[in-house]
Amino acid sequence: MLKTKSLVTNAVIAALYIAISLVLEPLSFMSVQFRVPEMFNHLVVFSPRYFFGVVMGVFITNLFSPLGIYDLFFGVGHSIISLGLLILIRRSVKNIKALLVINTLIFTATMFIIAFELYLALELPFWLTYLTTALGEFGVMAIGAPIMYTLNKSLNFKKIIEQ
Amino acid sequence: MASSLIIGQYVPADSVVHRLDPRTKIMMIFTFVIIVFFANNAPSYLWLTVFSLGAATLTKIKPRFLLKGLKPVWFLIVFTFLLHLFVTREGDVLTTLLGFPVYTGALIQGFQISLRFFLLILVTSLLTLTTTPIEITDAIETLLHPLKKIKFPVHELALMMSISLRFIPTLMQETEKISKAQASRGVDFKTGPLKERIQAVVPLLVPLFVSAFKRAEELAMAMEARGYRGGEGRTRLRELAIVSRDYIAFCLFFIVIAGLFVLRG
Repeated sequence: MLKTKSLVTNAVIAALYIAISLVLEPLSFMSVQFRVPEMFNHLVVFSPRYFFGVVMGVFITNLFSPLGIYDLFFGVGHSIISLGLLILIRRSVKNIKALLVINTLIFTATMFIIAFELYLALELPFWLTYLTTALGEFGVMAIGAPIMYTLNKSLNFKKIIEQ
Repeated sequence: MASSLIIGQYVPADSVVHRLDPRTKIMMIFTFVIIVFFANNAPSYLWLTVFSLGAATLTKIKPRFLLKGLKPVWFLIVFTFLLHLFVTREGDVLTTLLGFPVYTGALIQGFQISLRFFLLILVTSLLTLTTTPIEITDAIETLLHPLKKIKFPVHELALMMSISLRFIPTLMQETEKISKAQASRGVDFKTGPLKERIQAVVPLLVPLFVSAFKRAEELAMAMEARGYRGGEGRTRLRELAIVSRDYIAFCLFFIVIAGLFVLRG
């Protein structure tokens, strides 16, 4: 069972993910996925307890995305698989900077899930779609990594959810 | 600005689709997303188009609203159509467009894929147009209930989703307030290279995170002070019930599925 504090913090993180994606970046839903809150994926680097918040954020955003239920499955699946991989790697790698780099690479690599979604729905060429979506994801995650690192210095994400 | 603060696309109306149990709608739309890929000729596509437009009419939502929801995907639909038009080489050469030969097969394929995508988007958006986010949350909680047996935290996730939905408008206002405050101090979110624009979010994210965490802390404390102990024995404010209209909807939908498999080539 999740502790109340952890549950509520994750709920608020999900809400923040959605709020930012709705207010800040109107390009969120194009075929090139460029969501600023994607950088929230890095929160799991600091504590695996942020897993549900980030996944919930993706879930609710996709629930209202024009790609609909289709996007819900693949979008959420992409987050669960990538974050799951990160949590596994987190057991042996402890260095935060290294983990941020690893996380960026994981999310870029697993974009094949989204490319596959677009291939199924629109029969777009798989490799070209993979390339464009992976580039977008890599951009957000790579720029997001130093930002989250800086934010962590003043906010201490681990302490907030685990204390 | 006020309109952009509405979460999702829910349009209140007094229609039979609105009154259907959210679980009925989720299960039907879920099935539709799969069966739409079984259409493979003109009659089967026409059949699904008639069903989709019929369902859309039943919602009593003005077509203007429906089309507005599709706005972000028009580009994708047109792009897909053109891509298939120029890339596919099946059938006879119909005409030459911008120096490229256009085949009849390409025209048909491009049209079918675009139509299929249009139907997918139209029908799935009917769920969020006619169902409030909180109804969707309740429906997901009951639909996922069996997963409790394998220790999947269904109740906790549903509660998390409700709390999240409650906080979205608050945090959206907060995001807007803080970004205006920072813009007045000279932070530029709208122009400049992409990298700089993204870096400009740092002075936005710090206060946002601080205020969000503070809210979470206060809510967690309030919940514990009131004795929140998780899902066991909790009663619900809204009870879901499958009634006769849901059974009728299922029957009609079954006819749609059967018709599709009769019509497809």
